[in-house]
Amino acid sequence: MSEGEELFERRVSREDFLKLTAAAGAAGVIAGRAGAADAALARLAKESGRLQVMDWAGYEVKSLWAPYLKKYPGEKPKFTFMTNEANAFAKLRAGFKPDVFRPYVGYVRDFAESGFVQPWDPKLITILKNLNPIMVKAGQYNGKQYGIPNDWGFDAILYRTDKVHPTAKSWSLLFDKRYSGKIAWYDDLNQLVWAGYYLGFKQPYNQTDDELKRSQKLLISKKKMVRMFWSSETDMQNAFASGDLWIAYAWPADWVAMKAKGLKVAYMHPREGPLSWIGMLMLGKGTPRPQHAHAYADAWSSVQSSSWLENNYGYGAANTKARPTSSDLLKVLKLTDPNAVREPKAHIDRYMPRRAVYARLWQEVKAS
Amino acid sequence: MAGRRRKRLDLTTPGLLGLPLAWLVAFFLVPIGIVGAYSIDVFSIYPAKHPVTLAGWDDFVHSTVYLKLFWKSVRMSLVVSVLVVLLAYPVAYYLALSGTKRKYILLLILIAPFLTSYLLRVLAWKVILGSNGVVNSFLYWLGIRAHDDPVSQLLYSRFAVMLVLVYVWLPFVALPIFVSLESLDRSLLEAATDLYASRWQAFRRVTLPLSMPGVIAAFLFVFIPTVGEFVTPSLVGGTSGYMYGNQISDLFGTGFPDWRTGSVLALFLLAVVAVLTGVFARFLGMRQAGAR
Repeated sequence: MSEGEELFERRVSREDFLKLTAAAGAAGVIAGRAGAADAALARLAKESGRLQVMDWAGYEVKSLWAPYLKKYPGEKPKFTFMTNEANAFAKLRAGFKPDVFRPYVGYVRDFAESGFVQPWDPKLITILKNLNPIMVKAGQYNGKQYGIPNDWGFDAILYRTDKVHPTAKSWSLLFDKRYSGKIAWYDDLNQLVWAGYYLGFKQPYNQTDDELKRSQKLLISKKKMVRMFWSSETDMQNAFASGDLWIAYAWPADWVAMKAKGLKVAYMHPREGPLSWIGMLMLGKGTPRPQHAHAYADAWSSVQSSSWLENNYGYGAANTKARPTSSDLLKVLKLTDPNAVREPKAHIDRYMPRRAVYARLWQEVKAS
Repeated sequence: MAGRRRKRLDLTTPGLLGLPLAWLVAFFLVPIGIVGAYSIDVFSIYPAKHPVTLAGWDDFVHSTVYLKLFWKSVRMSLVVSVLVVLLAYPVAYYLALSGTKRKYILLLILIAPFLTSYLLRVLAWKVILGSNGVVNSFLYWLGIRAHDDPVSQLLYSRFAVMLVLVYVWLPFVALPIFVSLESLDRSLLEAATDLYASRWQAFRRVTLPLSMPGVIAAFLFVFIPTVGEFVTPSLVGGTSGYMYGNQISDLFGTGFPDWRTGSVLALFLLAVVAVLTGVFARFLGMRQAGAR
């Protein structure tokens, strides 16, 4: 039995069967029409209720999943927002059961092992063949496709070209004392990762205790030059636009937003390599709407949605057929190079066996 | 008959106290118990089995980072609380003792900011203190600072956090001081005047001591919430304005959560605040007993 058939079998539960029998019987008695039972079967075979999507704020925009609505007219998904993977995890733990949600690539294994998700049926994702194979592979765990890649981008350095004159293309710009008080770091444990790359460690995503101490020491010693650790992209963008910041650890979308405000900005890929990330749509375990969920993932991967994502948010899309209209964006996202997201050109976010240690040390950097 | 009345009286007290007590137990004691359980890994947000451990407490006691941050927050809160009380006292004094007929209208004006959202009031300071904000623009206009050289310490700094906290708490703190001054027995002031006390002596020997319960209540009203404050520092504090409350919030909510350490930090804060409140309450009780 194929996975698709399995999903159908699961969907028609005992309760559904009883409903079906009752509906068919009632239809036969009342209407006396032979086709009524077939109609009832078709109705029950359809998945009921709106698709539950847990996603990041900004990703509920209709243009990003419009083909889904074309397939299921009038069945707009219901959105709940997640602020990060931990927040998503806490919601799942509390009993929330989204059909689809979106952690990033570094958490694929964590969620696959959590018991809250199930693998996708690749046969039902018609656009899978058009997605960047490197990203598709990054969504796999134990040979199963747990994540469907969609949005992706870099973590690198945004700076004002009219105010800042870097001496080197390096992460060290994030602690250049000439610009003390005008710098922002991202409030995330991966600050220890770029510090590890700057210090030349072999495995910055899996540093030894000694290496972590050295990375932490670097961050603590340079923290006094940092004006803010941003967690809200809007806050950082506002501070950047108002002149409070000149340099920021940022995403490509921030470069797009600052350019749109008329600022002279550049997006630097440091020589030690930028970090890169891929958003992965995951399928909730035991979802009652698997067909809808697959259609939703398909819609997100479409050229139409992907191009909209690139043009409007400045993130890359996994669909290699999608291209932004701006040549600047094409250059910054390095969309012509399918390998731009991985080693040696960028350090793709990945499973971190010592994530808890990183998290504790990062909290200590903030508290110090 | 007498027996029936006694029985009804017996039920009245627990009946009246029952609901608030149940509320206290359900929404204060039980949550504290749950937080306590998280602090020793009886509960954990991660599905794997964990042995009960005091490691979180051990790490906390031996970590200078968290205790340093705590004392930094205490210092900031103390400065804010003292400043707020010093600024609120003259306002409350004027309203209560000047004899103005419009005192309640003035009081209403004083607390008018409460009619707007807390977040809005804090965010408004970003407009005032930013590099292109009101203060810096005024300095540019005066020619004191160049456009390329704004006073950057105004925003995203420890100063910004304390300034905003003073602004936010000032009206709130004036109220308990106003109440204590309003209920002052004026004949005591008349007696002081009759005994040739100067206005300063009357204030120092009569008004101030008798308004101390209001002053201390006002101080606690500011100190207790601000020592665990995290909203204002997260909006205007930047890296240097980061407080103990932010750390607790971060440990529970962001990145890779660590509810065990977060619970330890939260319980420590609760314990310190409880002890301080107890000390102040005892101090007040002793003063009032002495006055009698």
